[in-house]
Amino acid sequence: MKNLLKALKISVFCLTALFIFEAEAIAQECNFRLSGIIYDGTNQQILSGATVSILGSDKIALTNKSGLYRFNKLCSGTYRIKITHVGCVPIEASLVVNSDDLTNQNFNLLHSTEQLSEVLVSSKYDSDVNSIKSSLTVEQMQKLKGGTLGEMLKQLSGVSVLQTGSTVFKPVIHGLHSQRVLILNNGVRQEGQQWGAEHAPEIDPLVASRLTVIKGAGALRYGSDAIGGAVLVEPRSLDIDTGLRVELNSIYSSNNRMGLLNSIIEQGIKTKNSAWAWRSHLTYKRGGNARTPDYWLHNTGVQELNYSLHAGYQRDHTKADIYFSAFNTKIGIFWGAHIGNLTDLENAIKNKTPLFNIDEFDYQIGRPSQEVSHYLIKAKLTQELSKDRRVNFVLSHQENFRKEFDRALIDNNPELDLNLGTTTADVNFETNRFSNTNQQFGFTVQRQANVWSGSRFFLPNYTNLLLGLYGIRKWDNNDLQYEAGLRYDYRSLEVFRNQNGQNFQIDRQFNNLSSSFAINYVPNNNVSWLNNFSLAWRPPHVNELYVNGLHHGTANFEIGDPNLNSEISLKYTSQFNYQWNKDTYFDLTLYTNYIQNFINLVPVLPATLTLRGAFPTFQFKQADALLSGSDFTFNTALNPSLSYRFKASVLIPRNLESRTWLQQMPAPQIDQEISWYFSSGKKGNYISTNALWVARQRFVPDNFIDYLAPPGEYLLFNLNFATDLRLMKTPVNLGASVFNLFNVRYRDYMNRFRYFSDEVGTNVVMRLKINI
Amino acid sequence: MLKKYLIGMLCIALSVSVISCKKASMANNESEHQAINRIEMLFKQGGTTVSTIVAEDPDGDGGNPPSRIDNINLDINKTYDVEVKFYNISNGVTKDLSPTILQQGKQHEVYFVLSGLTLPIEKKDKDENGFPIGLISQWKTGNAVGQGSLLLKLMHKPLIKGANDDSNKGHSDIAINFTLNVK
Repeated sequence: MKNLLKALKISVFCLTALFIFEAEAIAQECNFRLSGIIYDGTNQQILSGATVSILGSDKIALTNKSGLYRFNKLCSGTYRIKITHVGCVPIEASLVVNSDDLTNQNFNLLHSTEQLSEVLVSSKYDSDVNSIKSSLTVEQMQKLKGGTLGEMLKQLSGVSVLQTGSTVFKPVIHGLHSQRVLILNNGVRQEGQQWGAEHAPEIDPLVASRLTVIKGAGALRYGSDAIGGAVLVEPRSLDIDTGLRVELNSIYSSNNRMGLLNSIIEQGIKTKNSAWAWRSHLTYKRGGNARTPDYWLHNTGVQELNYSLHAGYQRDHTKADIYFSAFNTKIGIFWGAHIGNLTDLENAIKNKTPLFNIDEFDYQIGRPSQEVSHYLIKAKLTQELSKDRRVNFVLSHQENFRKEFDRALIDNNPELDLNLGTTTADVNFETNRFSNTNQQFGFTVQRQANVWSGSRFFLPNYTNLLLGLYGIRKWDNNDLQYEAGLRYDYRSLEVFRNQNGQNFQIDRQFNNLSSSFAINYVPNNNVSWLNNFSLAWRPPHVNELYVNGLHHGTANFEIGDPNLNSEISLKYTSQFNYQWNKDTYFDLTLYTNYIQNFINLVPVLPATLTLRGAFPTFQFKQADALLSGSDFTFNTALNPSLSYRFKASVLIPRNLESRTWLQQMPAPQIDQEISWYFSSGKKGNYISTNALWVARQRFVPDNFIDYLAPPGEYLLFNLNFATDLRLMKTPVNLGASVFNLFNVRYRDYMNRFRYFSDEVGTNVVMRLKINI
Repeated sequence: MLKKYLIGMLCIALSVSVISCKKASMANNESEHQAINRIEMLFKQGGTTVSTIVAEDPDGDGGNPPSRIDNINLDINKTYDVEVKFYNISNGVTKDLSPTILQQGKQHEVYFVLSGLTLPIEKKDKDENGFPIGLISQWKTGNAVGQGSLLLKLMHKPLIKGANDDSNKGHSDIAINFTLNVK
């Protein structure tokens, strides 16, 4: 008890110190190093594989074989760091990094048998060492708040978005999206109607304290079908030392007059021999019609109400937590893009400005629209079996409701109403028993059922049973770190159809073996070279097999092919990082992804004839494809408070069978940014400007009958400003951004509504964050 | 210890695989559409129907193309009162949607787009704002014999309907090409 009180006092002191020193922290130059060795406090043996993280930043280090961790490019100031290791009590400490070039600090970790851990639920994920990934920094997250998940992620190099008008954004990783990108919401695979190009991820990015993109099939533990990559949406760990903490966010966007209010309340409670912590989150946002430089876009409003509750409990060697989240949105679909038939489409394209638009501001959302709700409940149990072995058990259930409203003719019901329920059980066993290695293996059982109703058939009912078995091993050999993983999946699909009152069932089974192998070569502090090879597969989705109908608001008639086979992806990714000094570095990622049986929606003749007129028709077909490309980042400091960043990405999407290009792939782009950190280089006080140039997409299929050629290149300028203030001793972060500063008129190839309207014009966003 | 846990978890995991939480096997009829899949044009003289022209697509959009689109044959030097009726037919139940369209007259308009010949066509019905609807119209044939085509359109244009809209304004709810003979 005494120890507990002491720990509590120290933590409270540290937390207070953190606020007090925050103003001075991270000041001046940023070329210091911090390193040290982590020991097992009971026997003074070195601990490899311990995680050392700098709180409030995205910096994480893992101790190597010699128990050594290191951070480069730190600014001088006071840092709060946290050290965790399987079976040990995590510790937190405040460290001063100052004029010495290298700060050395060793730590002792104690086994959790002796004390309660301070962190109830670790947000540590397993693919962190050897997968090629990038995360948004804390500053980037703060300046992008108010946007959707897709809008935030597109700041990362190699990530773009597939847009439907101004309201729907889907993340695209190295040219791949939808079913090919896995989204992990607090460790649970998001299961919604991802197949649709106009179906945005049903996640409130404000639940996350960290957003990470894994480029390539690096998340073998969660499934092998994400051949494009994975997005990790991770909330901060529940912390029993928090006391009561309240964070309030208020955001206003000028373009669509959107207001957003968000609150996060959390608390940690300790009793004699157990500990509790909880957090709640609530977001409400409402926006009206968006505006291009010349006109309003009628019916492009958005409404969102999201909330979540997370609670954790720990006693002895057992940790348990339960998480509930709800996401509800109503999105207007731009009027001028909702067309009847091919003639209507041609008429709409002929006009430079949208036909029949109502050029005025309105918050009202009418038809066409989407109403989407997503609920997740997750229970997780972690049992420490011994100091180097533990088992995790996760049980989750998700319910996804999607209603799509076209034009009402008969009643007010949605034309398409889909309900997808997913139950997943996941067992994972982890051990560090052998020196310098980490093993984990486990299995997943998932059951899914989809039911449709409405007046327009699009996707049949189905049930899906998935069994997955996997094993992953990491080991560390001085300069080289390896990771190898193997996964087997069995998927059984039952499709239920009813044509003219005739019921029938179709069964399909898929089996496959996926694997990944990574080598990370770190010869010295300046160089790291990470190579990743992966073999992954994705069975065709129900929509690709059996879809038959008009796609919501697109005037496309889509037809599935019941004989499609699994896509098989063989991807090699190489990430080379060179660091001259703490501020000057470059990062080059090269990749090539050979996809056998790539499923693609291709136009077919003749057009589908209906009583509503003729509709252009598309069919899902398979072809071998090769997606190669590169992402490049260069960063340098012009002086201690001025930094420059250059980012570029290019993708060459080849259809190997028709010897042409694949359609709907992102164009090359370059993003340059200059940031000025006023107030002596403090990270929270800056003014930055960036220029984003997007090329005209030249890689388009020769034989593809597109209604409109890809739009031209464009150049956009954005401004960002943020400052940390203290209002009556309360820390406040004030920020402002101006997107599309010069109100540039442009269209983007990756926006499915580029046929109908321009992109939005200048948008001024104001942000206020208060910590109580 | 480990064994106990693993067995317990395996049991729960297996139970997940047998939970059937939804009636996915009770599929809705894919062929049922609430959309318009039958159109009738009643040509009347002096209150008596002299000709009924039908266009029909029983399985809705996609699947089979429209199964029936009649030719329109009119006599020279006649005046026809034309009534256009819209139906939904599914599972043997016929639903007349014309009253709904009339009720939502402010959002709809029927167009008769002729090519190859000209006929004076006058829409006889009006919505609340006094704009034409076109469910009821009057056609006059002259003394010239001819052949051409008639594009029958039902345009949906909530909030934007005006007095003299052209036939491309709004979304096409219906767009059918009939062969038209005047003899």
